[in-house]
Amino acid sequence: MSKPELLIVGGGPAGMSAAIEAASHGVRCCIVDEGRELGGQIYRDAHAIEREASPDLINPRGDELRKQLAALTNLIEVRSDSMIWGISDGNKVAVGKEASGTEFITPAAMIMATGAYEYIPPFPGWTLPGVMTPGSAQILAKNLNVMPGNRIVVAGTGPLLYVVASQLVQKGINVVAVLEATQRRDWLKVPFAGWQAWELLKEGFGYLRVLRRAGVPVYYGRIVTHAEGDAELSHIYHAPVDKNWFPDRDKEECLEVDTLCIGYGLQSRNYLAQLAGCKIEFDELGGGWVLQRDKRLRTSQPNIYAAGDGAGVAGSKIAELEGRLAGLDVAASLGHIDAEKLQQKNKPLQRELERFSSLKNTFARLTRIRPGLTELVDTDTIVCRCEEVRWKEAKEAIEHGGHDFRTLKVMTRLGMGMCQARFCWPPMARIVAQYKGCDISEVGPVRPRPPIRPVRLDVIAEAQSNQTQETE
Amino acid sequence: MNIVVVGGGVFGCLVSYVLARRGCQVTLLDKDYPGSATSASAGGLWAVGESIGLGCGVIFHGKEGKANIDAGPQPLPREFMEFLMESNRYFPALTQEFERHSGIHIEAEKGTGLLYVIYNDKEQQYASSLLDWLSNSDVDVEEWSSQQVCQREPLMTAEQQGGVYFPGDNQVNPMLLANAARQSATALGAVFKNNTAVTGIRMNNGSVTGVDTTHGHFECDVLVNAAGSWSGQLAKLAGLDLPIFPVRGQILCTEAMRKQTLNFNLSTSDCYILQKAHGEILIGSTTEFCGYDVEVPVENLVGLANGARRALPMLSQSIVKRSWSGLRPGTPDEFPILGPVTEIPNYFNATGGFRTGIVGAPLSAEIVAAHILGLEQPFDPEHFLASRFTKGDIHLPQ
Ligand SMILES: Cc1cc2nc3c(=O)[nH]c(=O)nc-3n(C[C@H](O)[C@H](O)[C@H](O)COP(=O)(O)OP(=O)(O)OC[C@H]3O[C@@H](n4cnc5c(N)ncnc54)[C@H](O)[C@@H]3O)c2cc1C
Ligand SMILES: Cc1cc2nc3c(=O)[nH]c(=O)nc-3n(C[C@H](O)[C@H](O)[C@H](O)COP(=O)(O)OP(=O)(O)OC[C@H]3O[C@@H](n4cnc5c(N)ncnc54)[C@H](O)[C@@H]3O)c2cc1C
Repeated sequence: MSKPELLIVGGGPAGMSAAIEAASHGVRCCIVDEGRELGGQIYRDAHAIEREASPDLINPRGDELRKQLAALTNLIEVRSDSMIWGISDGNKVAVGKEASGTEFITPAAMIMATGAYEYIPPFPGWTLPGVMTPGSAQILAKNLNVMPGNRIVVAGTGPLLYVVASQLVQKGINVVAVLEATQRRDWLKVPFAGWQAWELLKEGFGYLRVLRRAGVPVYYGRIVTHAEGDAELSHIYHAPVDKNWFPDRDKEECLEVDTLCIGYGLQSRNYLAQLAGCKIEFDELGGGWVLQRDKRLRTSQPNIYAAGDGAGVAGSKIAELEGRLAGLDVAASLGHIDAEKLQQKNKPLQRELERFSSLKNTFARLTRIRPGLTELVDTDTIVCRCEEVRWKEAKEAIEHGGHDFRTLKVMTRLGMGMCQARFCWPPMARIVAQYKGCDISEVGPVRPRPPIRPVRLDVIAEAQSNQTQETE
Repeated sequence: MNIVVVGGGVFGCLVSYVLARRGCQVTLLDKDYPGSATSASAGGLWAVGESIGLGCGVIFHGKEGKANIDAGPQPLPREFMEFLMESNRYFPALTQEFERHSGIHIEAEKGTGLLYVIYNDKEQQYASSLLDWLSNSDVDVEEWSSQQVCQREPLMTAEQQGGVYFPGDNQVNPMLLANAARQSATALGAVFKNNTAVTGIRMNNGSVTGVDTTHGHFECDVLVNAAGSWSGQLAKLAGLDLPIFPVRGQILCTEAMRKQTLNFNLSTSDCYILQKAHGEILIGSTTEFCGYDVEVPVENLVGLANGARRALPMLSQSIVKRSWSGLRPGTPDEFPILGPVTEIPNYFNATGGFRTGIVGAPLSAEIVAAHILGLEQPFDPEHFLASRFTKGDIHLPQ
């Protein structure tokens, strides 16, 4: 295949939809995903192992998208098991694949559809074996048929809790309780705010129904304050919270469990876009530092678009719509369709997007991180898991002049481990800002560096550029 | 005496420490520019190796970019090596002082040494001429056969034909060195202000009276310019010309590996490779003239990765965790710029560490402090004065 005009990073709903839309107008696309198959977080079920693990839990939408994509193979090159680990000069993209090395591709346009990952705040006991994220429990139970535990509490905030809890129940696992940090009266607003997105509401009620039938209690307005156990998790403590999520410690209760699935919503993966020079801004409702975009979903860099959760957490429906909008705009900007056709195609997609926006905004407000959560850490709590940095060490570094990621890293090794600060810094930034009484933007984001994810040295060493293809 | 030191890299921190130890009232200001050299550095204390051109891959002294083996060895003037060797001797004592004042252990590892690895006949000739040059000095140096290299550094490639070993060239953790110096200085009464950029220098009657910053005005009796690659800009604020230019270096860093995966600091014609106390292996470093840009172009990492796996084939399977770049404060003759200037009586330079700023920092700080306090000099300070550059013959690399 000759040099792609459009490179799409990420093969989730956003990336697949972008490829389908762009290719349907004649754009030559290359879609890259580090997974074995396309599908992204939500449709991670294309592989035989996963299909056999939970045949009843497969969402048909994933197969539909993969089928539409397959129908356009002459224009869409799929590169799976491939990770884009760096970009320089804004558009020189390093696509790495184990055993074959790195290829540098220079596309005319790019769509970042890199998805989101879970927000995991530190609290006393959070590093005990048995504490995991809802997403990890989902992969274990749904995709690999491995039971994460026998007595599970699902806690945190956001729709993913109910999805995962109900899937665990359907796999026959004993879910002791669901603990949702936000108050019930706030959740009761959802049906009014989101009536236009009726199909998502229906889906949500479906999860709640599964939990109710199985007798799983859902407690609102409660957070897990700490977890305990000798070598592994044995107890969790939870307490009611006020609207800023400050717990009432006098009303703390204890539950005996072997597994705690805890997650406080999602945040965008945008290190790669940042390497490409795309500007970011702090948006509390978008899940933290998000890419700046215009109405046409273009980032601050010419010819780089962003769509889906990677641009701002909004769920798979919006991811699909944004993917299509971005794919369409690329088709127009590369001259495959004219302005009139763009207008005509763009309108209905924009209207659909509108239909979901009220529900999206309501969810974002309900699940935004509140300061009480940030104050759960005590002096001995580990705040950087990779390097085992404790809050007292970070606090001491702050006293000695550490004030942002760079300085704290240099002083404590915070964020220097394998996760490259992806997990520790977002909650730490809030903790530091709150401790110093300054704005989170002053504490700043991480400055990403290649490789954006750890990569084998020979993948970097074995590099070739696609010069030959360019001359075709 | 009230002294303001601008720049909290290894130069500024060590100058502050030496002055605070001598009872001066020191205020250290830093802006935290990305790409500051100290935190980017590999922390090699290669006093001999760097002086004879075995640093960032084989050195280019006087030339841009690539090692030029055909041109033969291009050691720097002998005084440079003597200066670095003398500076290197400060580390054992500093380790103890810093531990005492700040509780920080700077990981100045003894016994690692620098091993120059020889791949071919040309490099063998190059090594021989280096050994000749060193023969009339008191430098500790050993020639190792290929078998000896294999025995002592078991993961080394069979491609090598032997090596030259410098037992005195060890390593330190550069960030801990600077932190320890800064915290020791503050323990001795110095004041450190971070996030504070100097934006102006106030003068009266030809002397500095204070600095304006993003966080207010600071008065001073003496001003020390330790602003690294930015020291030229700072000097400009006082109307001075300082021939400092940023020289970018990139480093590749692996995941933490088993301790003593490597026994030595390695230098090859492609790159240098060393293992740090936490187990990470650093592979450095490029030498680039591209202004203040601290991006890490991905294609430059390819060369470093290839250099590393050529020397140590097992590194092929290692996981690369991160890369970064930093700006060395470069000078036209590779010597640092230390001490007073003719134009302003209470202004002092402490800059130009270039590629050996970590190993050179302790003695540089002593020299600057001796100038300020009128003490006996620990080393002939003439080579380091800014006045050696007469206007007009300053050639900045393109
Ligand atoms: C852990 C988790 C579980 C979820 N479970 C559910 C659920 O059960 N139900 C539900 O409705 N929603 C769920 N969501 C939300 C839903 O997955 C997202 O809203 C939706 O998938 C967003 O689609 P997307 O295309 O924007 O991103 P994603 O689906 O996340 O796709 C992004 C893809 O890009 C790839 N990628 C990223 N960077 C690179 C790179 N540098 N190189 C190569 N590939 C790269 C990723 O591997 C991924 O496959 C979950 C989200 C997460 C994080
Ligand atoms: C990749 C790399 C590898 C290296 N490896 C080695 C090695 O192995 N061994 C060795 O000996 N040397 C090495 N060096 C060189 C060494 O790191 C430098 O020479 C040394 O760190 C210079 O220290 P400095 O304090 O002068 O500069 P810096 O560390 O850059 O500090 C200067 C400080 O000044 C501050 N500043 C600048 N302007 C202002 C202003 N207007 N107001 C306030 N603050 C200001 C900046 O924020 C910065 O913190 C390496 C360098 C690099 C880049």
